[in-house]
Amino acid sequence: MQARRIVRQPSELMLASEFASSHLHEKGPGEYDPTFIITKLGCKVNRIVVSGLLERLEVRETSNGTQMYQGQIRDPTGLFYFSVREYSPLPLQELIHQLHERVSSSEPILVGMVAKTRWYQSEDGGVYTSLRPEEITEITRQRYANWLLDAAEATYLRIEHWSQSLEVDATMEGLSTTSIPQRSHQSIVAARHHYGEVDLEIFKLNVMQALDIAEGKIEAVTTPPPEIRLPEAEGEGETSNQSVEEIIRMVISHFDQGEGVQYQTIMSNAMSKGHDRESTEEGLDQLIHQGVIEEPRFGWFVFVQTQ
Amino acid sequence: MAEAFFMSDSKYSDYIEAVLKEIPEASADDIHAAFEKYENEFYIPPQDALRSVLRKFQSDSDAPSQSKPRQQRQTKKVAQLSELGSEDKDVEIEVMVVTHNLRQQLIRGEERQIAFGMLQDLPWENEEKRTQWEYKDWGSNSQLLPGSIVRIEGASVNEYNGKRSLNINQSSRIVLLQEGSGSSLKTEDPIDISALPNDGYVTVVGRVLSTKNDQIHRKDGSGSIDIVRGRIADDSGHIGFLSWEPFSHEVGALIKITGAQVRTFRDTPELNFGRTTKIEPYHDSKFASIDDLKESSFATISDLRDGSRDTDIIVQVTEIMQRKFERDGQEKHLWSAQVIDPTGQCKMTIWDDISFSEEDLPVFLKVTSARITAWQGIPDITVDSSHQITMLDEPAWEGEIDPNSHFVEAPLDELAAGGSRVGIQTKGIVVSVKEDSGMISRCPECRRVMREGSCFEHGEREGVEDIRLRLIIDDNGTTSSLLVNKEVSLKLSEMSEADFKKSAIEGHDALIMDLRSKLLTNFLEVKGRTIIDEQGMMIIATDVDVPSRDPQLRATELRAAWGWN
Repeated sequence: MQARRIVRQPSELMLASEFASSHLHEKGPGEYDPTFIITKLGCKVNRIVVSGLLERLEVRETSNGTQMYQGQIRDPTGLFYFSVREYSPLPLQELIHQLHERVSSSEPILVGMVAKTRWYQSEDGGVYTSLRPEEITEITRQRYANWLLDAAEATYLRIEHWSQSLEVDATMEGLSTTSIPQRSHQSIVAARHHYGEVDLEIFKLNVMQALDIAEGKIEAVTTPPPEIRLPEAEGEGETSNQSVEEIIRMVISHFDQGEGVQYQTIMSNAMSKGHDRESTEEGLDQLIHQGVIEEPRFGWFVFVQTQ
Repeated sequence: MAEAFFMSDSKYSDYIEAVLKEIPEASADDIHAAFEKYENEFYIPPQDALRSVLRKFQSDSDAPSQSKPRQQRQTKKVAQLSELGSEDKDVEIEVMVVTHNLRQQLIRGEERQIAFGMLQDLPWENEEKRTQWEYKDWGSNSQLLPGSIVRIEGASVNEYNGKRSLNINQSSRIVLLQEGSGSSLKTEDPIDISALPNDGYVTVVGRVLSTKNDQIHRKDGSGSIDIVRGRIADDSGHIGFLSWEPFSHEVGALIKITGAQVRTFRDTPELNFGRTTKIEPYHDSKFASIDDLKESSFATISDLRDGSRDTDIIVQVTEIMQRKFERDGQEKHLWSAQVIDPTGQCKMTIWDDISFSEEDLPVFLKVTSARITAWQGIPDITVDSSHQITMLDEPAWEGEIDPNSHFVEAPLDELAAGGSRVGIQTKGIVVSVKEDSGMISRCPECRRVMREGSCFEHGEREGVEDIRLRLIIDDNGTTSSLLVNKEVSLKLSEMSEADFKKSAIEGHDALIMDLRSKLLTNFLEVKGRTIIDEQGMMIIATDVDVPSRDPQLRATELRAAWGWN
């Protein structure tokens, strides 16, 4: 038998939206074979390089009484969740400890992170992704911008390869007739079988968002995470005279970063403007009925795209 | 208490309401508990857990489920393996067992006997129609014998690296339909030479490029064995062979070799022909001619692998010197040269006299049937006789190559696919600053890094202080270690030697954090040489730069390249 060598797994550059939307995983047959997550764009990852705003970092007790840090990093396309346990190497623990104090005092911090990908499967089969950091560092705005471009470029290439793959059968033979790099063939085949049709527009939008921010077009890089509340209109009126439909439109246009706006965000904003739950729901139904907005997945609302 | 409950209750209330809207009969308390469990135990916030909680309660209540029941167990009965998907479980199929091998495997710390081999579908049909898959039997089923036809119930499909195989589980049932003769069938299809594995039995179709009778002397002095060495090629590549049996096929003959064994000597795979290997003439008028194959069988320095034989290559000699040594009381000499081609540089050793001198440099040589050895990853083209060398009248490539600035640019994946190379330039993103970066102590005798004042080879010594960085860079799905010497480390870290020394006293963790803040996720341009072995790739850097990249400009360039303006 061949001697087993533990070969280091290469990393991929990836935006949060692609990682967070993944729910296919793969593990080799051996006990020590690495585990992978296969994304909707057919990228097979065991390790990724991410960056973004360190939005949350909290200490938690684990079930066996030890401490762990859990946190989330926001990039323009979504969130990465991660956890750092006590057995992590000292420089990482020391840094996390320092970052924790700063995040607790609401200081905005940009970080770069190299992490192993993990997944958790719930009893009913839902798969969730998270990260186990190997190395973290605080980075400058310029380095963040360059990471965004690197990740955008990598995502763009994956979108291109995915589109190319649609022209052939989703088999290894089919892909061998394309110019898609061979290292992606197997994971693209697996992703196409698992995910079926993938909406590439969302990922294209994400790439665009990353470019915009890297160019400084959006002031979202070192500012705190988006408020859940719309900026207050002048005069703290308890009941605004805006109709609930107007508020819903405002909320969606203000908060939608590509994947839509959640029911809860719309509801809490409308209620803070003096509308009750029932009338807000009615407003949502009304707008859906009029074809202004739609609910592409449960609890998420977007404007209907007009061609 | 009540207040605490009320607060956390309100935290989820919108979500609970959303679930209740879909499944009115579910209990609000249970839904609350589910959200809490997701958030506290699995760190999944309610907005992300919503869909799962919905699904959970949908399946709990017996209401007709709207979501697709993916987990539903339903026996999938198929006739052909090609009908199976990568996630199929509980499969029923009739197959013929082709091979059956036993193996001990450690599974969760327990030694277990499993079986593996090949099987074919459509066992009652003509062999040509069948598809062959690998299988693994976890259930020690005694009916699985070569040649037997069985019905397997409850198998599952396993897919790894794009290859599907069948798992016969402990719970699977095997029904014997026809007893086998116990003989195994050979159904191997020929493999392209470039796609040969590093070990195992294979079938190859190729043209003989060279053959040479040779002898291997038994180590115990009990005599020698006649063997034949040579090379065969197809249009994908070429490979050396060693035949332990008489081999009479002439140079230029097209042959089919069934059941050759691939063995890897140092870094070089080789075909071995033995008693069970079948070699027969093969007919294919479209197969590449010997001239075409010979032309493409010339190696470049970037292709060279330790342990290769019969290598043909064209090089430019940039340095040559004579080395004298004594053997058996006689003074002898050899020629040691530095050589170069458009893909890199390496060494050459000639154990014979040469027809040119240092004044003639640069000279271009065609070298045939050379052996390749390597020292610290640098290939050495070893030439035993001057007959193997032809001087070329004209340069083999346009423009002279300056060995001092000859850094051949190559992406990391290309470097990883080749052998060790000197004089390369590449790029990547720093994905690790290893914790053993910084001040180190080297053994004064072998320059190895000492641990706790002791050298692995020479024991306790007074170490020599040095500074180095050990990084890992990645590019486009390829990974490499990167060793950075003192001079370049000081430049990259923007630190002085005194700063590093201070860190050794004040705290190593702080140094690592500082180095990471300067390097981690940064983009590097690297010059140096590569060492490639079974542990992967390592680059020994002679220079490293962190090019400044202007995001505005890059974004504009990307938009232009993608036509997104």
